[in-house]
Amino acid sequence: MATAGAYTQAAAAVPVSALEAVSLALRRDLTLAFRKPAQLIQPLAFFALVTMLFPLAISPELSQLRAVAPGALWAAALLASLLALEFLFRDDALDGTLEQYALSGQSLTALLCAKTLAHWLLTGLPLACMAPFAALALGAPSAALSGIVASVLLGSITLSLIGSIGAALTLNIKRSSALLSLLTLPLSLPVLIFGARATQVAISGGALIAPVELLAALAVLALTLAPLAAAAAVRISLE
Amino acid sequence: MREFLDMGGYAAFVWPAYAVTFAVIGLNIFWARRALAHARRSALRRLESGNAPP
Amino acid sequence: MNFTWFHRLGSPPYTYALARRLTPWFAWPAALLILAGLWGGLVLAPPDYQQGDGFRIIYVHAPSAWMSLMVYTSMAVAAAVGLIWRIKVAHAAAASCAPIGASFTVAALVTGSLWGQPMWGTYWQWDPRLTSELVLLFLYLGYMGLRAGIEDTQRADRASALLAVVGVVNVPIIHYSVTWWNSLHQAPSVMRLAKPTMAASMLVPLLMMLLGFTSLFAALLLVRLRAEILTRERTSSWIREALSA
Repeated sequence: MATAGAYTQAAAAVPVSALEAVSLALRRDLTLAFRKPAQLIQPLAFFALVTMLFPLAISPELSQLRAVAPGALWAAALLASLLALEFLFRDDALDGTLEQYALSGQSLTALLCAKTLAHWLLTGLPLACMAPFAALALGAPSAALSGIVASVLLGSITLSLIGSIGAALTLNIKRSSALLSLLTLPLSLPVLIFGARATQVAISGGALIAPVELLAALAVLALTLAPLAAAAAVRISLE
Repeated sequence: MREFLDMGGYAAFVWPAYAVTFAVIGLNIFWARRALAHARRSALRRLESGNAPP
Repeated sequence: MNFTWFHRLGSPPYTYALARRLTPWFAWPAALLILAGLWGGLVLAPPDYQQGDGFRIIYVHAPSAWMSLMVYTSMAVAAAVGLIWRIKVAHAAAASCAPIGASFTVAALVTGSLWGQPMWGTYWQWDPRLTSELVLLFLYLGYMGLRAGIEDTQRADRASALLAVVGVVNVPIIHYSVTWWNSLHQAPSVMRLAKPTMAASMLVPLLMMLLGFTSLFAALLLVRLRAEILTRERTSSWIREALSA
């Protein structure tokens, strides 16, 4: 983990501007993540698997699946992003990097924002890329796909941000996946509702602008408030 | 009186609803008092044993 | 403005003694108001022209739902006070609120469901109110779960306080999105509480029940708060005197 140490040392030894610190944190997370590609695939495989559950449990008829496609897609996306949340802070909490971030004199909010962004690039973005295939598999028409990608893209940003709060609160709790889900899912319900609605509208070919605007509004709200809450939660957990 | 208990035919819904609510009220009173009694007992026990650290 | 009362409340022995003195002042009025409300609601109020005697469930459903939301808000306020001013007693108060609120949320869900069957023909309906109550229950369970999961009391206090604050900010958002979602799908007869158009003979018992339940919450909170303070302050010197009183 020499590179990880070099990044942390560089941040401590030389005064670094906020932007440099954020980009260092971002690059570090991405580099470390790509060393374990198997771990990256897991949430995506989970998403594909859950998507597959619905035809098997309901019916192979695409026309029937089309009716449940929005719900199934978003339930799968929500669960997959929950699964991925465990990787957000865990390693850094274990090896003390998170403490270094908190003590570094840089804005913890900004650094956590960088971590969450990295996390989204590694999970939310790929999820949004996989969503059209899942949607096709559930009977969505091809005309709906661009709208579906847009909605999952926006929704996954909010999911990552909301999830970071729960992940920060449960940092020190062992076997916290059930608790993390219990904390995160109620807060994620608006995303689910608006996202599924957007997918529904996309499939039926209606005007997407309203639900997408709602999703964007949620994303902006999450972007402004969630990192603050997550930073406070990290400080509390590290006390 | 029978009319009262019958609740215009809705008895099967009205009375269980009241029963559940008052059960919740009763449980709350019971739990709160039990929590206080338990806390008092254990605080007294600590004092008796010379206030040893937990 | 003189804020000494606020700082005095932050002192555990002061609040413990105060809680002890105040409890009967909330407990007895609660009992009286609830009994009076029951009498007014079950006996005196005329049957509703649409729902007959079935509407009388409102006298237990509405106060339970009110409790579930009010207690959560109180819990969040106490948690915020504890978080901002680092007052342990506030955290103790927040912890005391949770089980009370959660149990009344369950009562609201059950009574709401029982009201639904004769009114809608089904025991469950995904209408905004019931769905929001269900989400509120999960918020309570999450709060209590987080508290239970963290061993260190101070960290548990602060983490769950943050969660409560985040939750209370989300409650209006969740409620709005659930209402919006519900309105899209043309839900059948939405359970109307018909507040402004209620006759006085129906409304007055309802208000008495609401007040009575609120007073009950205060009494329950004070008792639980004393228990919490005792448990947290076990090693303090003032306990001996307080317990012998």
